[in-house]
Amino acid sequence: MDKLPNELKQPLVELLLSVADDKFILGHRNADWTGLAPILEEDIAFSSLSQDEISHAIAIYQIAAGLVGSTADKLAYARKPDEYLCAELVELSDEFNWAIAVCRNFFCDHHDYLRLGRLAHSSYVPLAQLAGRLVAEEQIHVQHVDMLLKRLGHGDTESRERMQSALDRLAPLATGLLEPTQGIELLEAKGVYPRIEPAMFERWTEDLRHVAEASELKLQLQAPRAEAIGGRRGRHSDAFASLLDELTEVYRLEPEAAW
Amino acid sequence: MSVSASVDLKLDWDIQEDPVKLVPFEERITKGELVEPDDWMPHNYRVGMLRMAEHHANSEIVGALPEGEWITRAPTLRRKLALIAKVQDEVGHGQMLYRVSQDLGKPRDQMLRDLITGKTKYHNVFNYPAPTWADVVMIQWLVDGAAIMNQATLADGSYGPYVRTMKRINMEEAFHFKSGEDMVLTMMSGTPKQKQMAQEAFDRWWAPCLMFFGPLDKESVKTSPFMRWRIKTATNDDLRQRFVDRFAPAALDLGLKIHITVKDQDGMVTEKREDTEIRRNEKTGYWHFSQPDWNEFHRVVKGNGPLNKKRVALRRFSYEQGQWVRRAIVGGSDLPPLC
Ligand SMILES: [Fe+2]
Ligand SMILES: [Fe+2]
Repeated sequence: MDKLPNELKQPLVELLLSVADDKFILGHRNADWTGLAPILEEDIAFSSLSQDEISHAIAIYQIAAGLVGSTADKLAYARKPDEYLCAELVELSDEFNWAIAVCRNFFCDHHDYLRLGRLAHSSYVPLAQLAGRLVAEEQIHVQHVDMLLKRLGHGDTESRERMQSALDRLAPLATGLLEPTQGIELLEAKGVYPRIEPAMFERWTEDLRHVAEASELKLQLQAPRAEAIGGRRGRHSDAFASLLDELTEVYRLEPEAAW
Repeated sequence: MSVSASVDLKLDWDIQEDPVKLVPFEERITKGELVEPDDWMPHNYRVGMLRMAEHHANSEIVGALPEGEWITRAPTLRRKLALIAKVQDEVGHGQMLYRVSQDLGKPRDQMLRDLITGKTKYHNVFNYPAPTWADVVMIQWLVDGAAIMNQATLADGSYGPYVRTMKRINMEEAFHFKSGEDMVLTMMSGTPKQKQMAQEAFDRWWAPCLMFFGPLDKESVKTSPFMRWRIKTATNDDLRQRFVDRFAPAALDLGLKIHITVKDQDGMVTEKREDTEIRRNEKTGYWHFSQPDWNEFHRVVKGNGPLNKKRVALRRFSYEQGQWVRRAIVGGSDLPPLC
């Protein structure tokens, strides 16, 4: 389909915002390392990942903006905290702990890769075309973060311990990525967000465990409880409001102005 | 062949270089030929070139800091993306220039350590604060503009790897400058508040940019062998004049006023009055301007500028928090632990 039936509009907007918000906030957090990463070569690579995430977010915001009559910038800068649908994992500050930064990307990139892969087969043509392009770039992120995980897992005792404790710390939060947005069953039924077999959680944990094992790291993931409510319904960590305050600091000086 | 780390990296003007080697070396330079890493070169040429490339590399990675602080707060998606890319470019310049320096005989880790222990320096201009978004705009317009002017002359130097790196860097700097121009134009066509922000940031950056090119020629130490060897190819005063000729009229056209300022120790302007010297000399075509406060320049060079300590501390923080990663990925450093 090229035109979206009315009853799918709201569910699709929520799904798109969840994807774009994850990417926007992840890119925003990752960019903290630009100029300060542990190795110059990795500083440059990490900045590229961050730019990709934000570029992806822009493209997805644009589709959502078309559906709700807004602009990508307004969606990114002018919503209230509880209107953002990102997962808590991307909100958290990594406190300049490279192990946390890498592990966060590990969870997110693998998840995004699957999510975009599904969207690339969407029955909604404009979305399928965009996602097809993005998933190719996401695959490069996955390769890069897997490489980092392996090198640090195999590095020395200290690096393995640091990576293990970062994985352990983030794992309970990471499953929040899989919290469904409202109306997702409808999108799945109509092929706008096609289902995959095995289902998302199994595929994702399988991919992650595979890489963790090859990195000599252990990974325990518990399937999220169906009734758990978090970022996908606009419920965020305490840190999120101050993250948004900072992110919109200049924008809010003159919201109607060009910058 | 690259020289080993044990090479003595001090300038020594008492060295008598072998004339059988020195004469053809200098002839090649006069003819405009490039010197390559494996070629014979005078000791002081190697050291002079290394110091310049290392200082330049340091400046790129410290230069990433003031703008890097604003990535989280960039006001639109497009600006945010462009700013990350811009700061990434600066880090990339640093990386390329550290490579050039490594080939001249100094290991990268040693250079990063000398930077955070204060043994080596970086460009003075990055010791000034960027308290608003408009400062990011002025950095990309004025500081990158000044850097392009300086680096265009360095791309005309004699050391092959540095010259080639400079050409590549200058292409990227031209991009930064274009985006700086676009941003300053946007703000100066914006709301009264935006115009005021731009003017205040301009007031903070004008004098540091005049100082960007270094002390007055009459006060700067004799650098004649470096000019003869084409490590340096233009004088400070020449470059400063070129900068003013380009940016004074551009600023006035945009509606900015050029001020003489007094600043507090944090680099914030406390007093300002219009620079009445600013005018074009119709006979020569050159622009007149008032000299900046050279006492301030010397103070900042000696480490007592508004942000010297903060910038070095942030580099040190980055170095220290990344040590375990470097140990795991590139192997341990031979250097003793930092104290
Ligand atoms: Fe640069
Ligand atoms: Fe630049």
